[in-house]
Amino acid sequence: MDLTLLLQGILSGILASGLYALVSVGLALAIGVIGIVNFAHGEFFMVGAFLAYQLFISFGFDPVLSLFFVAPALFILGALIYRSSIQFVLKAPELNQMLLTFGIGIILQNLALVIWGGDPRSISNVPYRSIGYQVGGVSIGLVPLASFLISIFIVAGLYFVLLKTPLGRAMRAVAQNRTGASLVGLEVNRIYLLAFALSAALAGLGGVMIAVIQSPTPVVGFAFTLKAFAIVVLAGLGNIRGILGASLLVALAESLVATLVPDGDSLRNAVFFAIIFVVLIVRSRRQA
Amino acid sequence: MKALEVKNLSAFYGKIQVLWDVSFEVEEGEFVTIIGANGAGKTTLLKSISGLISNKKGTVTAFGKSIEQLSAAKIVRSHIGHVPEGRQLFHLMTVLENLESGADYLPHAKREAAKTKAYVYSLFPRLKEREKQLAGTLSGGERQMLAIGRALMTKPKLLLVDEPSLGLAPALTKTVFQALKTINQEGVTIVLVEQNVLQSLKAAQRAYVLENGEVVKSAEASSLLNDPEIQAAYLAI
Repeated sequence: MDLTLLLQGILSGILASGLYALVSVGLALAIGVIGIVNFAHGEFFMVGAFLAYQLFISFGFDPVLSLFFVAPALFILGALIYRSSIQFVLKAPELNQMLLTFGIGIILQNLALVIWGGDPRSISNVPYRSIGYQVGGVSIGLVPLASFLISIFIVAGLYFVLLKTPLGRAMRAVAQNRTGASLVGLEVNRIYLLAFALSAALAGLGGVMIAVIQSPTPVVGFAFTLKAFAIVVLAGLGNIRGILGASLLVALAESLVATLVPDGDSLRNAVFFAIIFVVLIVRSRRQA
Repeated sequence: MKALEVKNLSAFYGKIQVLWDVSFEVEEGEFVTIIGANGAGKTTLLKSISGLISNKKGTVTAFGKSIEQLSAAKIVRSHIGHVPEGRQLFHLMTVLENLESGADYLPHAKREAAKTKAYVYSLFPRLKEREKQLAGTLSGGERQMLAIGRALMTKPKLLLVDEPSLGLAPALTKTVFQALKTINQEGVTIVLVEQNVLQSLKAAQRAYVLENGEVVKSAEASSLLNDPEIQAAYLAI
């Protein structure tokens, strides 16, 4: 086996895991704190991507600058969606919640199709998009490297907030015991709103990066919803700390298959979900 | 001033009415117990007072302030602490984090958090030993102590306590009741709901008897201990 190819596969996998972690951690936050299974999560990601694209086209905003606009925009979008719909179904059966978020996703996706059309869009002509480095035969693109570093930085920031700040502790308190949380003076509904909005903002930040890395269409979101779900399930529902490891595992597997197996690129998604199947089956056996 | 004045309180789970026109009063500094059989509505009564149940009619006044419209988070700001059924602790947080969370979101409690924490540890030295342990790994008795401790961290003037003896060994029950008495002697008004009628009548000054969601009797705790009806129904003498 070609060692360089193997190293390339590992490196690409590691770099891809950052973005997966960023998108998944937002979903895990919504599931863990609010208990809402949000099928529109990937659509927040997509909206982030196309907002960044539009900011670039209309005002020439560099994607790095767009991060600072997209995050608050998606935070507000998340808050609005929570206030106008999610908060009313918190006690509804889970199937109803899923249908609602699924519907929200479809609306967002179709709105994007109306606004931007179905063609792939990309922030292609930023000067650094083609920059790459060669290290011992292995190539590292600046964009994947930067998106990895930014993603990990944001995820680390979220971990810090959750573990070390009063707001983070409030979110953990609400996640662990709603009744107890309200008895120590927390307005549970307000914490839910913040968690949902934050979750949307995290997805939006991931979207900005995909607009530079790939050429997304408005239907890019659903694949990411599924992938994020897979990672969240792998980490254990609601387990935010497990997200980094789970993202690394699936991203590595995906990348290694794509680089080492002939025609492996078309197997990417298959590998992703094969891992999830195996984990779910093994886990249910262990519990049985 | 009255610490608590409940007038014609009715409470509902969906369409099912659980409390029927309950009225009772607690003077500041008193230790009052509400006794009754399983399903009499004791837990519902406390939950209605602390705001965990919002589907209710009637009035609840605490320290002269009407609170029946407020959310649980607002009611704890009116100096009412609740040690709830099932403890409702944060299981993946340490003992220390659970205690701190009691004071974190209430400015008046936060200022005195260090002092209150020392007080809680003096009441329950076991909690100090378990400070770094996750709440989910504590024994039943320790969880009860932690639930009381967390409620004390909110700096209540009125403490509602739901079935602290549930699932506890007799020795631990004694410890917990002793702690409640001490807390009361320090000036905190206590409303205790219990199935362990003997212990609670011994600890409290006054008692109300709740049957099928209605107050059927009220008296000095000591006189209820000698009441033949109470003895027959609750004390199995």
